[in-house]
Amino acid sequence: MAVNAPPAETKPLSANDPQTIAEQIKTKFPDALESASAQGIVIKRDHLLEVARHLRESLTFDYLNNVTSVDFPDRFEVVYHVSSIDRGGAPLTLKVNAARENPVVPSLVPVYRGADFQEREVYDMMGIRFDGHPYLRRILMWDGFEGYPLRKDYHEPYFEDEKKPFGTRWDQGHHVIAEDRNPWHDNVQYPANFDAVAFKAQIDTVREQTLPDVSPTRLKTEKMILNIGPQHPSTHGVLRLKTTLDGETIVGVEPVLGYLHRNHEKIGERNTYLGNIPFTDRLDYFTSMNNNHAYVIGVEKLMGLRVPERAEYIRVIMAELTRVISHMALMGFMYNDLGAFYTPLIYALEERELVLDMFEAASGSRMMCNYMRFGGVARDLPDGFLDKAKHLVEERFPRVLDELETYLTGNEIFLARTKGVGVISREDAINYSTAGPVLRGSGAKYDVRRAEPYSIYDRFDFDIPVGTAGDVRDRFLMRLWEARQSLRILKQALKDIPAGEIMTGKKNYQIRVPKGEVYGRGENPKGELGFYIVSDGTPNPYRYHIRAPSFINLTALDRMSKGYKVADLIIILGSHDVVMGEVDR
Amino acid sequence: MTLDPWMIAIIEPLVKSLVVIIALLTLFAYLTLMERIVIAKIQSRIGPNRVGRVGPLALLQPIADAVKMIMKEDFIPAQADKLAYILAPAIAVGTALLAWAVIPLNPPVTIGDYTIHFQIADINVAVLYLLAIGSLSVYGIVLGGWGSNNKYSLLGGLRSTAQMVSYEISLGLSLVGVLMISQTLSLTKIVEQQSGWWFVIFQPVAFIIYFICMLAETNRLPFDLPEAETELVAGYQTEYSSLKFALFYMAEYIHMLTVSAIAATMFLGGYQGPFGILPGVHWLFIKIMFFIFLFMWIRGTLPRFRYDQLMRFGWKFLLPLSLANVFVTAVVLVWLGK
Repeated sequence: MAVNAPPAETKPLSANDPQTIAEQIKTKFPDALESASAQGIVIKRDHLLEVARHLRESLTFDYLNNVTSVDFPDRFEVVYHVSSIDRGGAPLTLKVNAARENPVVPSLVPVYRGADFQEREVYDMMGIRFDGHPYLRRILMWDGFEGYPLRKDYHEPYFEDEKKPFGTRWDQGHHVIAEDRNPWHDNVQYPANFDAVAFKAQIDTVREQTLPDVSPTRLKTEKMILNIGPQHPSTHGVLRLKTTLDGETIVGVEPVLGYLHRNHEKIGERNTYLGNIPFTDRLDYFTSMNNNHAYVIGVEKLMGLRVPERAEYIRVIMAELTRVISHMALMGFMYNDLGAFYTPLIYALEERELVLDMFEAASGSRMMCNYMRFGGVARDLPDGFLDKAKHLVEERFPRVLDELETYLTGNEIFLARTKGVGVISREDAINYSTAGPVLRGSGAKYDVRRAEPYSIYDRFDFDIPVGTAGDVRDRFLMRLWEARQSLRILKQALKDIPAGEIMTGKKNYQIRVPKGEVYGRGENPKGELGFYIVSDGTPNPYRYHIRAPSFINLTALDRMSKGYKVADLIIILGSHDVVMGEVDR
Repeated sequence: MTLDPWMIAIIEPLVKSLVVIIALLTLFAYLTLMERIVIAKIQSRIGPNRVGRVGPLALLQPIADAVKMIMKEDFIPAQADKLAYILAPAIAVGTALLAWAVIPLNPPVTIGDYTIHFQIADINVAVLYLLAIGSLSVYGIVLGGWGSNNKYSLLGGLRSTAQMVSYEISLGLSLVGVLMISQTLSLTKIVEQQSGWWFVIFQPVAFIIYFICMLAETNRLPFDLPEAETELVAGYQTEYSSLKFALFYMAEYIHMLTVSAIAATMFLGGYQGPFGILPGVHWLFIKIMFFIFLFMWIRGTLPRFRYDQLMRFGWKFLLPLSLANVFVTAVVLVWLGK
């Protein structure tokens, strides 16, 4: 097993300290800096590209965690979080200002390929153009959409109020829904002079594809475009892959997203902080506990809350149980994608049911747990929870994982189908900003639980497994190994969990979040789930951005699947473990 | 009442055909039920247990399934090549049924002075006939894939052709070993020769090759590439609905029965019992069901090959192996002086 020893001491955080970095940048590029503070380094627009290149090549900031933007009254601010795979630590925040009128910022795609989808999302949502982006067009909204929905001055149809709670919803003691007032219209706003018949979506024009050299002497053949999805048995939801094929060989894949888009971020900016917790459940609906966890970590960081010991343990137990079942189920799903007739999946889902039973006992809900709160968890564990958990963690799950390993990893057909398929090198995996098992499967040892330990993960003894080949098989095995490590954490957590409070202070529906901004992140089963929150001191977040691992992992799909067959595309996608609720948000 | 010989010559095959077809269609219906139950057990589920329940079995489930299938809208895509589209399912079922014309089901029974052969036609080139009919069955899939005018269907049809060329030769060569021992192409004689030792004992390699090719021929896992659900939605069946879809389904199951019957006849002694115990149609049935169960077991457990892997496997492994088998058989036969 390719599990390496736990990493050596993480270097002191000062290596990523914005002030130090700012000094270094200043000596290299004297007029590149606008300002530097603990909140991040503001770089002049014209120098962004060279500074980013310098950061990546000389200061080993080789990983672009997150790209987002904030709409301030006087300017747009594009925010980048970069970090170093080997060094770990909190990510460094870079910022670039753009004018309100015709905002343009240089694209970072030449430096970090992982910026591709994220910059498109920023363009789509805020209308900031990225100069030099190879394929700048809408990614979540449809092509004919007018306006940029995350701008503060954008109002959707049936707009009621800037902030929740909406005054109109409780008018003189009656519940009123805005749509009821005008039932004869769609909840859609078309651009002026929109002609549905003449409209041609940009997506139906082909992105330029180049043929890889599969065979030098070939018959003259025509390429074919195959739309896999949005309704397809194995795209794991409403994902559409516009695939260009040469015979059955893949020439290019373009994920077309947004079929499940609900503008979670806009909803989040309308909601109160507390009201966002149940919404995070719906991001990656397989792992609601982890989503809760990453979000409350972010807000707690901003508020400076300390969480009671018991609550921290409960959170870790819940998050790791989720990771075990998510990884188990994925092993089943990947076998489905290989064409097995549901058998491994059903055995994996059987285990998942047991954990869901426990979630139900603790939180009252099986999938949408809505369990964590700022400063603790919603309820204490019910009686008997720990005994059941101990039984699962110490007896049942190790046995099930051994079974899965015995029956699933050695199968000849499995090996033939997955070995050397969908290979992505370590450098590419980092450069494309992949996260989670996809990144680690390529050999990059980067796990937020170790890189920037949150909650109480620094107390537990566990390893970060890494793959070597970066192919589908390694990504499959990553799930098995990580589930085993999660069991190790769980064993320790279940042994050490103390009695005591589960919440700091009293339950509070309207928390007071000080002004500021934070990038809170946690290691989801799918990868790094980050929440970038800007608070202006009001009950609602000013900006609420989600770094969705499934979404950003899809950036690398085209790179991974070129030259392979259609059948491989499905399993490569399966090894990403995409959940559309999170991709489209 | 006595009938003229020429009337008997017409009526007898008609009756036999009718009995065989009805038996096959009934068997098909209950095979779907059997498959659902077997796979449910493999997956630790309960499986169908509601419609017409007798004991643990839902005996009317196949009828409920059939009624549901018939009630669906019979849809023909506007862009489809209508002739090919309609013809394809008929070809698929027709070729699957045709093979049964030459399979001996029971030892001949003599009533008075009249001997009934439980075989629709005892032709002296029956094995060749089987191979020919087996190759024709791919036309159902190819035409269906082409006629639907759908990219998934087309890919399914293409895969089916690619698949056929890579396993058919090995399939034929695996039967050649048996033919060299039996020195005849007539299935009746082949079965009669197995009243003592089954040919599987002399031809184990050929039997294994035939079994693998059998899976490929029927488009079952791990070789169900033409209808690969995960990538091609339903392959050549994508655009089919209602009874036309049911016909493809029927073709698949009858084909399973057909290739199992051929395997049982060529290698496991057909209606012969082990060591000559009580020969009869029940032995053939048991042997066929044994293969059918293997089909279902494999479907419940294995993932699918990629189509280029199947081709590589067919050309680079199965074909040399079956040629070697033929060669070794020939050498041994010459050595024994036969």
